Amino acid sequence: MMALVRKDLRLELRTRETIVAMVLFAIVMLAILQFGFGTRDDDLTRFVGGLMWVTLAFTAVLGVGRSYVAEREQRVLDGLLVSPVPRTVMLGAKAIAIFLYMTAVEVVVIPLVGIFFVKGPYWDAIGWIAIAAVLANTCIALSGTLFSGLALFTRARDLIFPVLFLPALVPVVIAGAGATHAVAGGPHDMSEWRGYCLFLLAYAILFSLVCVATYDAVFDD
Amino acid sequence: MVTARGLVHAYGERRAVDGVDLGLVPGERVALAGPNGAGKSTLLRLLATLLRAQSGSLEVLGEQIPGGTRAARAGIGYLAHDPLVYLDLTARQNLELYGDLYGIADRDARIAELLDRVGLPGRAEDTVRTFSRGMAQRLALARMLLHRPRLLLLDEPHASLDARGAALLDDELGRAAADGRAAIIVTHEVERVARVADRLVVLRAGRVVLDEPTAGLDPMSVRRRYEEAAE
Repeated sequence: MMALVRKDLRLELRTRETIVAMVLFAIVMLAILQFGFGTRDDDLTRFVGGLMWVTLAFTAVLGVGRSYVAEREQRVLDGLLVSPVPRTVMLGAKAIAIFLYMTAVEVVVIPLVGIFFVKGPYWDAIGWIAIAAVLANTCIALSGTLFSGLALFTRARDLIFPVLFLPALVPVVIAGAGATHAVAGGPHDMSEWRGYCLFLLAYAILFSLVCVATYDAVFDD
Repeated sequence: MVTARGLVHAYGERRAVDGVDLGLVPGERVALAGPNGAGKSTLLRLLATLLRAQSGSLEVLGEQIPGGTRAARAGIGYLAHDPLVYLDLTARQNLELYGDLYGIADRDARIAELLDRVGLPGRAEDTVRTFSRGMAQRLALARMLLHRPRLLLLDEPHASLDARGAALLDDELGRAAADGRAAIIVTHEVERVARVADRLVVLRAGRVVLDEPTAGLDPMSVRRRYEEAAE
């Protein structure tokens, strides 16, 4: 599995296409949201979870949608599929790469959200937000890998992928926003934060089971 | 090495492979020919386990497909129209990746040997994007041979190989027979492949219409036999 992860990271380091595009997209989106909401309301602290996770969800669509571009080029996917590597290992490797891309984006986005939108205590909540982000990234990586794999074999893959993936992100946005809201901009409500994190954990477990059960069929049929 | 009985694969209503029977014994090299759309590449993808047959039975390298697919894949070498390598990785990085996927114990030594054999030792650290088509296909040849496959499945290999690559491939096919490995070569260049193939199988509309040995036939006679069967 690590050989496949290393390959994805090498490709990204060489081309710098996906992460750079994702980070720029997220910054632009945050700026647009700031212009869109900030002119009407000085204090957007109560919306901070939603603003952050809607931004991350759309950034994920952009990045995950590109996750098999290198495999499509020159039909490299055939070379991987004809090897004896289990499909679930391929899934796991791709999911780890997506997880790392999302983490790189969040390293920029989470502090920026504090600067753009929060009036009140925020920086002491970064650690709790980061833990929620790790769980949310796991959900994004697993569901994203599955749906981008499904869309890979369709002619209108660029249209079908967001249609499949965005609904799967709705629970992640709800729980991510809830967990962020529970700790950002005021006293920490740890019980609420814990509840949302447990939901994200359950969602990640559910999707990992779905992926293991279906991934062979996605690539073999 | 390969036993196919009544293989069927359809794209929608159209049967690309329609009840194909095919056998292949160790050391045998089969030229698989036919007009465009005859089902050659689909049949090769079925044998490579890249497609699943909708009916019929298939055994590859002693493994029933789909049950023993993973074990069979470990012994298959597949060369396609495209080189199946990452353009933004170097030649060596591509081979290292495939070496790891196949769990090759002497990976680095094997890579050095193959890069030398395909004439790319000086380009090992260059990205494939900088390669000519012929060079990329020679790298693909190295990729295919990396794990010492027992069954070679080649889809029109001479179409994109340069002269050096084509000579290497013919040499490899000669060695394959001596080593007891088997090969299926999809081709339009019947005369050329006739020199290295032991049998000619012709497909038309997804069905085998000719399956006969090429021994004793000169390339032009093979071409005539092909044209009679394919028309």
